[in-house]
Amino acid sequence: MNYSEIQNILNKADFRALPKLHISILRNVMIESMAPYIKFMSYEMGFEAKLQIGEYDNIVQESMGLKEGLLKNETDCVLIFMKLEGLSWKLARNFAAMEPKEIHEELQRIKEMIPNILAGIRKQTNSMVLWHSFELPLYPALGISDSQHSSGQTGIIQELNIFLHAALANYPDAYYVDLNLCLSRLGSKDFYDQRYWHIGRAPYSLDALREIAHEDFKFIRPLKGKNKKCLVLDCDNVLWGGVIGEEGLSGIKLGKTHPGSPYYEFQEEIVNLYHRGILIALCSKNNSEDVWEVFHKHPDMVLKEKHIVAAQINWEDKATNLKKIAAQLNIGLDSLVFADDSEFEVNLVRQALPEVTVIHLPKDKTVEYKEILASFGLFDTLTVSSEDRQRGSMYKAEAQRQQLQVQTPDLESYLKSLEMEVEIKFADDFTIPRVSQLTQKTNQFNLTTRRYSEAEIKKYAGSKDADVLFLRLLDKFGDSGIVGVSILKYKEEKAFLDTFLLSCRVLGRGIEDLFINQTLKLAKKKGCKVLIGEYLPTPKNVQTKDFLPKQGFNKKGNIFELNQALKTGPMFFKRIDSSVDGQD
Amino acid sequence: MEEKILNERVFKVISQLMNVPLEQVNEHSSPENIDQWDSLVHMNLILALEEDLKIKFTDEEIAEMIDVKLILKALRSKNMTST
Repeated sequence: MNYSEIQNILNKADFRALPKLHISILRNVMIESMAPYIKFMSYEMGFEAKLQIGEYDNIVQESMGLKEGLLKNETDCVLIFMKLEGLSWKLARNFAAMEPKEIHEELQRIKEMIPNILAGIRKQTNSMVLWHSFELPLYPALGISDSQHSSGQTGIIQELNIFLHAALANYPDAYYVDLNLCLSRLGSKDFYDQRYWHIGRAPYSLDALREIAHEDFKFIRPLKGKNKKCLVLDCDNVLWGGVIGEEGLSGIKLGKTHPGSPYYEFQEEIVNLYHRGILIALCSKNNSEDVWEVFHKHPDMVLKEKHIVAAQINWEDKATNLKKIAAQLNIGLDSLVFADDSEFEVNLVRQALPEVTVIHLPKDKTVEYKEILASFGLFDTLTVSSEDRQRGSMYKAEAQRQQLQVQTPDLESYLKSLEMEVEIKFADDFTIPRVSQLTQKTNQFNLTTRRYSEAEIKKYAGSKDADVLFLRLLDKFGDSGIVGVSILKYKEEKAFLDTFLLSCRVLGRGIEDLFINQTLKLAKKKGCKVLIGEYLPTPKNVQTKDFLPKQGFNKKGNIFELNQALKTGPMFFKRIDSSVDGQD
Repeated sequence: MEEKILNERVFKVISQLMNVPLEQVNEHSSPENIDQWDSLVHMNLILALEEDLKIKFTDEEIAEMIDVKLILKALRSKNMTST
């Protein structure tokens, strides 16, 4: 989000009901432009920031109480920006000209100042203190020889950072913020703004200020108990590449080499979080046996079943499943982070459960999954205890004891907001290849799993005793293409549902209901009084077992018969363009 | 970019950053007639415009761009407008 958009949100936000977060800044540089980021991140966390910025280059004075109200009991957090240039211009900029004695004297002066500032702050407030470290020089004063000994400029600044670190460790709730990490992540060209350094002693770019604020909030979030506790993961195209229900154990991408390695390394990052005490859960639309088969049998799974504290692997919507996970673990929805590759799922959860933080893992950025997860910094805690390391197993035991009841979120309004447009047409020369491919590939939502070549489809499409329908879906995110096939065969006023399949990424949107409805309508138009369906079980298509009975079909031996009209459920579509409707 | 569209984007950023209604921002807006427009807000404005329009001004350009008229002039001189 742009700087001006952030400011705009803050202009319009209603802060009245929010608790306050008192932040005071001591600084010897211009840092005012950071304010919108601090206020925005507070707002995202559910707080109104009450931000005070001390006078320019008044750190020592204000630590002694010069500015009334800047440091007080209510202060939650003090940020200190003490740039070396403002503290010792010589050490920062004229280092090469300094004699060892002079360097030593400057060091001593700073080393006396730092503990005094801290002691002064502590006399006024017990708040958290976040002290931003000294930045290392990009081009050290002595060039390449600078780094060869510890008394070079880099070595001296490192010594100061180590000293600062130790001084902060003397006080509870005083922390060292590594500014050099922020600098490395952005790169110096994007971190510093040399123009405003010269115009107004404002050294940092907007991107730098955003990154620094983001780093600071990794401390502030756990201070207020707002750090995230549970990472909920989708499986297909997140933990491994591909769809396990379609591609099978040997077909998915996962391993130490490309193209499986991004998933392997992403899993390593997840296991690292587990060892920091973060709960790991699964929320995935799959047959659960398929997923657990990967966990049990795939040789390159870094993530193991023992790491998983809760799992909702089924065909229900993910908002409902996330609620179940939160209830099962007895944590708030605002403690959950949900990661998924599907834009549909990500938006559903964002809309239905705004408390849940959502990480979208875009399909074209698989290689960055690990960095995307790490960069959020949402799980950071101020310390990592041995209890943290055991938390996963504790919750797991608790979860097994619990029963749950969760309400369905407002799925309907979400589905409407997708602006789905559906085309149902008869297969023709252009679409027959894709229709055939779908019969070959689709395993999960497939009533009969009959595989057909292009020639066979072509034969049915051209026959008067059969019809081949396909379904194409578009929504506001784009064109999903042909995602469903239905094949009817006619015999003596009876229609046989030879094939009925849908790609599983479009399920749960009312599309299956619409499609079976249209199929039946077609059968009636052909003069059939009865529609006969079948369910041929395979290891993959359990989810369709009850599909026909649910639609009102009666079981008769091995087949299902429908001789009444289908129930018409609620429809969520913006447009339905059906050749069945048009064929009168 | 068309000059009109560019102008409107500049007005919008000013309106958002200074929290003044968009209809009160025009080519004659300046620190003289917008109370919130002080030197700190001005710096935020330049940085926000750079972010929004994906351009960079030099330090000398920044020193010149002290009101809307001069900001628009600087943008024109950077060939940000097509007419």
